Amino acid sequence: MCSGRVDMGFVLRAFENGLDGVFLGACHLGECNYITHGNYQAQNMVLLFKRIMEHIGLNPERLRINFMSGAEANVFTESVNDFVKTIKGIGPLGKAEGMDAAELKTRLAEVKKLIPYFKIVNREKLTTRLEGHDHAEAEKLFTKEEIDRQFAEVFSYWIDPEKCQACMTCARRCPVDAIISEKQKIHIVDQDKCVRCGTCFEVCPPKFRAISKITGPVPPPPPEDKRTVVRKGKEEAAG
Amino acid sequence: MLTYTEVENVEGEAGNFNVTLLRKPRYIKEDKCTGCTVCVEYCPVKYPDQYNQDISLNKAVHVYFAQAIPLITYIDESCLYLKEKKCRICEAVCKNDAIDLNQQPVKEDINVGAIILAPGFEPFDPKVREEYRYGEFQNVVTSMDFERLLCSTGPYAGEILRKSDLKHPHNIAWIQCIGSRQVIEGGNSYCSAVCCTYTQKQVILTKDHDADAKCTIFHNDVRAYGKDFERYYERTQNLPGIRFFRSYPSIVKEDPVTHNVTIRYSTPEDGVIEEEFDMVVLSIGMNPPKGVEDMAKQYGFELEEHDFCKIDPRNPMLTNRPGIFVSGALQGPIDIPESVFSASGAGSQIGEMLQYRRGNLAKERIYPEEKDVSQEEPRVGVFVCHCGANIGRIVNVPGTVEYCKTLPNVVYAQEQLFSCATNSAREITDKIKEEGLNRVVVAACSPRTLEPLFRDTLREAGINQYYYEMANIREHNSWVHQKEKEEATEKAHDIIRMSVARACQLEPLQEFDLPVDKRALVVGGGIAGMNCALSIANQGHEVHLIEREKELGGIANRIHTTLQGLDVQEYVKDLKSKIYQHPLVHVYHNAKITEATGYVGNFVTTVESNKGTSSIKHGASVIAIGIDMYTPTEYLYGQDERVLTHLELEEKITSDDEKVTGAQSLVMIQCVGCRNEERNYCSRICCSESIKNALLLKDKNPDMDIYILFRDVRTYGFNEDYYRLAAERGVKFIRYEPEDPPVVEPGKAEDKRDVLKVTATDYILGKKLELDADIIALAAAVVPSAATKEVANQFKVTLSPDGFFKEAHVKLRPVEFATDGVYLCGLAHYPKFIQETINQSYGAAGRVLTLLSNDIVVASGSVCAVNEKQCMGCGACVEVCTYGALELKETKQGKKCVVNPVLCKGDGLCNTKCPTGAIQLRHYTDTELTCEIDVVVPDDEIMKQIDAAAAADA
Amino acid sequence: MENVISLNENIKELCKSRAAGNFGDVMVVGGGISGIQASLDLATAGFRVYLVEKAPSIGGHMAQLDKTFPTNDCSM
Repeated sequence: MCSGRVDMGFVLRAFENGLDGVFLGACHLGECNYITHGNYQAQNMVLLFKRIMEHIGLNPERLRINFMSGAEANVFTESVNDFVKTIKGIGPLGKAEGMDAAELKTRLAEVKKLIPYFKIVNREKLTTRLEGHDHAEAEKLFTKEEIDRQFAEVFSYWIDPEKCQACMTCARRCPVDAIISEKQKIHIVDQDKCVRCGTCFEVCPPKFRAISKITGPVPPPPPEDKRTVVRKGKEEAAG
Repeated sequence: MLTYTEVENVEGEAGNFNVTLLRKPRYIKEDKCTGCTVCVEYCPVKYPDQYNQDISLNKAVHVYFAQAIPLITYIDESCLYLKEKKCRICEAVCKNDAIDLNQQPVKEDINVGAIILAPGFEPFDPKVREEYRYGEFQNVVTSMDFERLLCSTGPYAGEILRKSDLKHPHNIAWIQCIGSRQVIEGGNSYCSAVCCTYTQKQVILTKDHDADAKCTIFHNDVRAYGKDFERYYERTQNLPGIRFFRSYPSIVKEDPVTHNVTIRYSTPEDGVIEEEFDMVVLSIGMNPPKGVEDMAKQYGFELEEHDFCKIDPRNPMLTNRPGIFVSGALQGPIDIPESVFSASGAGSQIGEMLQYRRGNLAKERIYPEEKDVSQEEPRVGVFVCHCGANIGRIVNVPGTVEYCKTLPNVVYAQEQLFSCATNSAREITDKIKEEGLNRVVVAACSPRTLEPLFRDTLREAGINQYYYEMANIREHNSWVHQKEKEEATEKAHDIIRMSVARACQLEPLQEFDLPVDKRALVVGGGIAGMNCALSIANQGHEVHLIEREKELGGIANRIHTTLQGLDVQEYVKDLKSKIYQHPLVHVYHNAKITEATGYVGNFVTTVESNKGTSSIKHGASVIAIGIDMYTPTEYLYGQDERVLTHLELEEKITSDDEKVTGAQSLVMIQCVGCRNEERNYCSRICCSESIKNALLLKDKNPDMDIYILFRDVRTYGFNEDYYRLAAERGVKFIRYEPEDPPVVEPGKAEDKRDVLKVTATDYILGKKLELDADIIALAAAVVPSAATKEVANQFKVTLSPDGFFKEAHVKLRPVEFATDGVYLCGLAHYPKFIQETINQSYGAAGRVLTLLSNDIVVASGSVCAVNEKQCMGCGACVEVCTYGALELKETKQGKKCVVNPVLCKGDGLCNTKCPTGAIQLRHYTDTELTCEIDVVVPDDEIMKQIDAAAAADA
Repeated sequence: MENVISLNENIKELCKSRAAGNFGDVMVVGGGISGIQASLDLATAGFRVYLVEKAPSIGGHMAQLDKTFPTNDCSM
């Protein structure tokens, strides 16, 4: 397992559990003993997550990555001691940032839902290799504006109740079972489960085009009694 | 493995040597010592530490160095008991009765079929020449000393300090060629081949330690001839505060108060200068290993003129005594990769010799049948190790055991003195059975060394080995927190709690056996490919050798002799006939690979050749496709027929072309087409090639004026002697700078003959020179073969920035790729001499045999797996997999990722890119890892904190 | 060193498993990087190897180096 295995989800989980800081130790950049060089990706992840923390009002200094080799015990000790000092200086999570426990929880839960989204939209940057050891340069990989924009531009997939023919295709293909579906019933995207991968959007048969990608608030789903699909063909036949 | 052992006597012959060994007393029972180092702490004797170049002190009883193998102590001659029969404190403190002060040297006889000599080298001792002031001035150190100063396990824990005042030196000078390239008493005539680049390394690391440090290097030619060395040299030059001076300096004096050292040197601009430095590092070279003469007598091999082993250029691993091989620096001053491949190469030759006695690698151990416990509730057993006193002295072990029993799912916990001892492992097996455990946590040391042992313990008890989890409470805890016993105990609880949580989530995994096809494929029929193929075939394996051209031989077909005088054509002819006569080697001419599929042990390669289309199955692949030569566009090449490349020159010398051998004046220009922006590497062989041609010409026509225009003469190793010889025979060496290259124009000489006028700046005389040349020879660069990229894609291997093939590890795995089962040798790896190529091709054969002599390869169970339903087919994972283990396949449900578990190396990068969590690295899944994060802080503590926060808010 | 160490571990294991059979035996003199590599290769390829080192630990000069050029990798 490489430092590049550390998932944004793990870091988030630690903060959700009330930990005040997260420290990631990785091999020196450019010194991978394999050809993996995953530590660059670990660094990218940290840089991105710091910006996310900034956006939700948490002190980004609570997350740190340091690079060291297995033979540098002293470097590890110094780095950790320094980090602990920094965290003690900052104070308890949320409180130090003037956020109450409920607010903190809400904001972290919000981020949790968006992790797949951030992985998708930052896919390229998360895998770049920032050569050279210039820390200041690396910090610029993700900018505050960029992440603010990403938060503002969060999109959702929505099924138009007028168009959905309850064919079940999207439901079968959704990787995370986020589509509430039943035969003869208009499908609904469960926005809490949706990872915004767009699979449903792609597989919805072209003759229906029931799914659209929208930014901003998602219209409420149709009430349960209005979910029965009235097939156009049948309608005509009846008429 | 027999450490602390000398060879006393060697008798017999190849296939049957009788060797008498003398095992020196360690005064430690090897089987009892656990390396806990309690004895070291109590030992009252302080003594200079040999490993740290005597800069710091160690104890009479100590471990040689922190990562020593075996990781056990020994007692040296400074021990009070051994000297004066006093003390014996160590005996009293050792909990495992491992100390035995009455040990005597033991003689042991062994019988072996072959011997490899790899005694290494001896660093040059600058004390033999007074002018270096080593040992006299405190702040003059050798590069070996400095190496220890840089190291975090070194005498000052990674701080660079001066001996005189323990302060950081800011202004450091390096002096190159100490003991090398000198024909003086005590010095060595040859170049030690590694010092230029290790000095650059030390400079870079010094700047890492202290960004403001001023570093000055006094050098002769800078010999950055190896792979990626040129870029490294450039990187060093571009650091701020670095100066390179081409000058022979002398160490003048030491300031009696500050102990700073003054160096006198001269520059063309400023003449003679004296300058003071805080520290002076002597870049010492390599001497033959100590006692090499006795060794030569003992083993019966001959030494060459510099007292290294005399070797056969056609097979540099052979000595004149059959059955005795050499590898490493006994061949001469060489760098680590050459040492490694000569080692593998010597191994391969022994394989050829002793093929009939090779052991069969059938699995010997039979484990009880594995119980399926996946449906059972987790029943975790925790074993907490004292590690003698290592853990037990800091962490309250009995208390910790009690704590473990309170953890969810833990049904059994106990302490052990040494969990790694054989009886303790048996105890674990027994307890698994008695208590019905289905998960085991051992809280002890790093999994690095002992995890395999404990996994085995579980298998012995019929439990899947992946149900084992190790909690490191030694390196991560008791060793760090020696003064904080209570906190350390608490931390041990935390670590174990996390391990237990993870243990509960673990899944059983199967390692799988892949059959190995016993045949090999060698791509490229030059010297490298042919040697490699022969060595593999001589060990009983069928080899398919594919050659792009009609003829075998590769670039060697154009080389007639080496600097040392080897008849290359004769040698190649001999190799070819051996290839054609070998019943196990199948040669394909005019061959082209159209498709290559498969993986380690099971490749299928499709080849179109004179034999038609063949589908070849093989277990291992060797890439030996060689190189191309650069076609110069510089210096009127191609426009004027008097301008040749050095290969063309060699051909004309061999054919006694009167125009060449009868020339009055000949100019050679070095570094044509490399060491520039486009090809930022050194072609390594051209300096020696040019000197070879110059000497050949001088033999045929002693009156010819020969000029070699060079940037640095990179005749590393023993080739330095030929450089000296060429200079002695009147070959003129004139240095030029890349910004001011020579200019070539047609013109007339004073005697009115048509010549090419070469204008260059002479930096010694400081003026422009005009040379009349009848012939100009260009040292054209060696460039990667045009086929490199295609072959790289076919075999899924990677390239270095310069376009040569990239080996798995530049130092430690120089003849194989990161892709399992694919090996590399010859010039396709990087330009090199024939002798080096031969070393490397045997090396590749040796590595191939480590694969082919096994019937199966075992693939780890900890590889990625995809939940197809969850996969959204985005391919983010495929992109980040450097091993080509992932692939998108079209299914009815759209694109889905498929894992080839054989290729997966378990780095887990793909996991973090997957938006849906569909791909999971088994044994390190999200669930298995997050459960640890969840228990970092125990539940009630979180609750307390949350309550406190809520109270504060309210 | 991790590299070297893990090599060493393998050697130990392999040597152990070879101890019983009637295999071709080889002596390697010198436990530096070259000797370790030779031993490891031979042991993996089916021979019993005696690795003889005069110092108390194998590793040789390479174990004394801080890093290696040109990658500045740790040499341990």
